[in-house]
Amino acid sequence: MLADLQLRNFRCFESLGLEFAPGFNFFIGRNGQGKTSILEAACVLLRLQSQRSATLGSVVRFGQKSFAVSGRRENHRLEFRYSPLRRKIAFDDVEQRTLEDYLRIGRVVSFANTDIELIRGGSEARRRYLDFLGAQIDPLYRPTLRSYERALRSRNALLKSSQPRPREIAAYDAPLLEHGARLSGMRTRLVERLAPLAAAAHRDISGNGEALQIRFGPGNSEEFARDLENSRARELRLRQTVVGPHRDDIEILVEGQLANQYASEGQQRTVALALKIAQSRIFMTEEAAPPLLLIDDIFGELDPVRRNALLQHLPPESQKLVTATTMQWREEGVEGPIFELHDRQVIRR
Amino acid sequence: MPGIGPRSAERIALWIVQARGDQPEHIARAIAATRESVRPCPRCGFFTMEEICGICSDTTRAADLLCVVEQATDILPLEKTSAFRGRYHSLGGRISPLDHVGPDDLRIKELVARVEQEKFSEVILALAADVEGEATTNYLVELLKPFPISLTRIAHGLPAGGGLESADELTLYQALSGRTKL
Repeated sequence: MLADLQLRNFRCFESLGLEFAPGFNFFIGRNGQGKTSILEAACVLLRLQSQRSATLGSVVRFGQKSFAVSGRRENHRLEFRYSPLRRKIAFDDVEQRTLEDYLRIGRVVSFANTDIELIRGGSEARRRYLDFLGAQIDPLYRPTLRSYERALRSRNALLKSSQPRPREIAAYDAPLLEHGARLSGMRTRLVERLAPLAAAAHRDISGNGEALQIRFGPGNSEEFARDLENSRARELRLRQTVVGPHRDDIEILVEGQLANQYASEGQQRTVALALKIAQSRIFMTEEAAPPLLLIDDIFGELDPVRRNALLQHLPPESQKLVTATTMQWREEGVEGPIFELHDRQVIRR
Repeated sequence: MPGIGPRSAERIALWIVQARGDQPEHIARAIAATRESVRPCPRCGFFTMEEICGICSDTTRAADLLCVVEQATDILPLEKTSAFRGRYHSLGGRISPLDHVGPDDLRIKELVARVEQEKFSEVILALAADVEGEATTNYLVELLKPFPISLTRIAHGLPAGGGLESADELTLYQALSGRTKL
């Protein structure tokens, strides 16, 4: 478990230290008091990335140049200092040159009210869902994704120039194909592993026997090189790379129908929860490590039936950091310390 | 100055002001002389004080072997290994559209001209193993393919003297996919 957490110049907090309990920890306060920022700090500490924003620059407190987070998990001390020019990580007070030992310590699954975008929103949300998971179970995932994105952005920059030079574009084909094929393979396997877990989680919490199916929708066929070759004319016209993993998607079906078109809002929320529970079950079954669960503004919004179903099916071994505006919804049997946030102050009750 | 933080800078400044002898003046003259006399070798791009650098003019080195690197500074570690006794060619960078660096900003035309004139039997591409390095390597391969030379690239993989358990997974992956036949 995450025993404690310290923040410095992180979002709205100048300096803050917290000690957590195993099981549930509740953060209560009005909107804008920094509840989500505490969850984000836990995520940044364990994963060196935020569950809600793509870059870390915006995390630095306004007017400051850098932030730092530190904490203790499974008897290891982690520390991360970030400034736009420099990132420093320390594992048990020893500065690290590689991320491997550091990132092995903590896994995170984030539940948020905005998860419904996984079903309703564009494919980018679904790729982020896969990437956030992939980076936590395969140390090669993140470097592969970074290399693919770099090759893609370089290639697109060449396609956008006023006089595209085919020879330079072709020079970026090989890295795009190589890293892209590896990324596709990793994402295909991820969806294969997630599909039965998501279906089971959906059965558990929907309670109505509706079947959830998820399928990988790749942005290229198995013959990526041929796809790229065949798309030359289109990419010159559109001035961007039009095939590849940056077009990957997950198809989500409830009872055989596309969930973004045919499912009700309630059904979509249930699917979103099932997808996130599936993530946490991957860690439980395949990594044998309970993830830290960040549950942001969910319990207060769910109807009592779904709330109870969710509570019953979260991994009991997992530590949970939960935010809400009130505690009125809390059921019997859900015990844990309550942290009240008011004017950047945190009072533990 | 690279590598010198505020504390070192302060100590150096105080030493310059308080030094008893004329060491600071020596250093100042040495810096000025270096700035005046050291320039890139017109043939390979390495540093030289002469018309042509020491490597290009060394007749004991193999004249039919060429090693292409991104930066002149990449030649220094390669020279320390003593494993390579041929000539070099520094490109002065790599093709990087995100940094607005294209082939015309690099010494690629000069490379092709040398390959035409100098009759190399082998050209070794020793560029970085990242995306831009890979792309630049591909670009050069396409350009140099028509010439009757053997084109090779340096291997990437395990650090020497290291066991498998100490290598990170990306390095191991590359070492495995770039394995050689015995």
